[in-house]
Amino acid sequence: MKDELFTMMGEMPAMSPELLARMRQEAERNLLRMKHFGEMVMNPKEPKVGPTPRQEIFRTNKSRLWRYESRRTIRTPLLFVPNLGISRPYIFDLMPKGSFVEHMTQQGFDFYLVDWGVFGEEDNGLTVEDAVTKLLPRLARKALESSGASEMSVLGYCMGAPLSASFVATHLDFPLKNYINMAGPIDFAHVGLFGKWLAPSVFDVDKYVDTLGSIPAEMVKMGFKLLKPTMDLSTNLNLWWNLWNPEYVSGFNALNKWANEYLPFPGEFFRQWVRDFYQQNKLIKGELVMAGRRVDLREIRCPVLAVGAKEDNIAPPACVKPLIDVVSTRDKEYVELPGGHISLIAGRGASVHCWPKVASWLAARS
Amino acid sequence: MADNPSQQLLEMWKRQVEEGTQAWLRLMGQAQAPTPAMDPQAFWRPFMDQGMAAWSKVMTQGAAPSPDLMAQWKQFLDQWIAAWSRVLEQAMGTDNFAQLMGKQLEGFLNVSGPVKKAAEQQIDASLAGLGIPSRGQVTALARHVAQVEEKIDALEDKVDRVLRRLNEPGAPRA
Repeated sequence: MKDELFTMMGEMPAMSPELLARMRQEAERNLLRMKHFGEMVMNPKEPKVGPTPRQEIFRTNKSRLWRYESRRTIRTPLLFVPNLGISRPYIFDLMPKGSFVEHMTQQGFDFYLVDWGVFGEEDNGLTVEDAVTKLLPRLARKALESSGASEMSVLGYCMGAPLSASFVATHLDFPLKNYINMAGPIDFAHVGLFGKWLAPSVFDVDKYVDTLGSIPAEMVKMGFKLLKPTMDLSTNLNLWWNLWNPEYVSGFNALNKWANEYLPFPGEFFRQWVRDFYQQNKLIKGELVMAGRRVDLREIRCPVLAVGAKEDNIAPPACVKPLIDVVSTRDKEYVELPGGHISLIAGRGASVHCWPKVASWLAARS
Repeated sequence: MADNPSQQLLEMWKRQVEEGTQAWLRLMGQAQAPTPAMDPQAFWRPFMDQGMAAWSKVMTQGAAPSPDLMAQWKQFLDQWIAAWSRVLEQAMGTDNFAQLMGKQLEGFLNVSGPVKKAAEQQIDASLAGLGIPSRGQVTALARHVAQVEEKIDALEDKVDRVLRRLNEPGAPRA
């Protein structure tokens, strides 16, 4: 059998210098892989995240408003509204040269970030309506006051898009200059797997909230992991493949830290979020009422940009794009960029496709 | 047909994967009658053929092991994961899966609800015996603080609004 195997392999051909060099390179990479693997296991370093200097402008309960250092050459400031719960917002300022915030501030934008914070059991009474009609208007006004500008652009990312769209559509006195929806679901009829799993016929949100009070971070993590069960496998495979590269390893460490820090949902917020948005799709239908005011997206009359990600399985392009159809403006644009929900805004691909597009679109209108 | 034991082994493995795929296809076809049945073979085919080609090259031509082989293996694994991802995504997108998950969650809530309540009652009783505030009491206190903060913020909003109106041109001056 042994002989047979050797016969099967045939004679070893003479190696070309090119092949020899590549084999040497591969051997070196393998050594580096082992070295970095050892460091990751034996001496794990806490990655430094959020490198762009910033200042806390306002704080209420758990939520904060941050202003980032910038040359502020662009007149209209930008308010960034991310998701509430689920994950921490430092993904937008993950690491030097890998940060949306850094890119925008380098372009001269006066950049404000809403950090909703980590809500505890005491906040279980907080609703989507509270976030849209109490927290967000206050944070937006503080940003406007701090900037000294007369108008402001708003960018909603992920859940931050329906929240901020509801805010700007109901607070018509807010001097909105431009609005951007980045990977934010608007028409929940096309929201993909989450829409199926949270359908009223299979998911009793009342029982869920009444039993658990709040939605624990572990539950949120389980839901998102289930959305892409092979994610961890491909992440680890890619890590092994690129483990020789110290830049990749440091990027992986930062991203991995973020990807495993899930946040809980306040109970009442989750109830209203699932019922009004996922189950009844009230936002696009114009049936959503917040503090006695109907949320009518047609009231958005400023220039609008909607950005979808081709591979997004959390907010598929089909649920992002419909904003463009309902707003009352001629200056509107929808772009579909490569990447998934996170890689749309974080990572190398984002720095090539998304950041320049958003910055140039905004700069031309600010 | 393969002319060496290694290739025979690979052919056998390939046949097994295809048979498994057929079984999977039949199972999914039965499970979700209203929607068109999937064709997982379409997912397997590209990466399997590529893998076969790479292995055949090594085994039959006697090519020396090179870094290219590693890259091909990585590509093979990437496609394998992507194929599985697509298959799982389709399976999880079915009504059957959603219903199954809903039932699992409901079962979990049916068990965890009473357990949680009983545990909380027991802990509260123990803490009360020791004269230590319970989790519920601490939470209630934190909620009160948050409500007070909210009221102060709301008052500040009102004062701001009044000041803005007073500063508007043409506003009445005292």
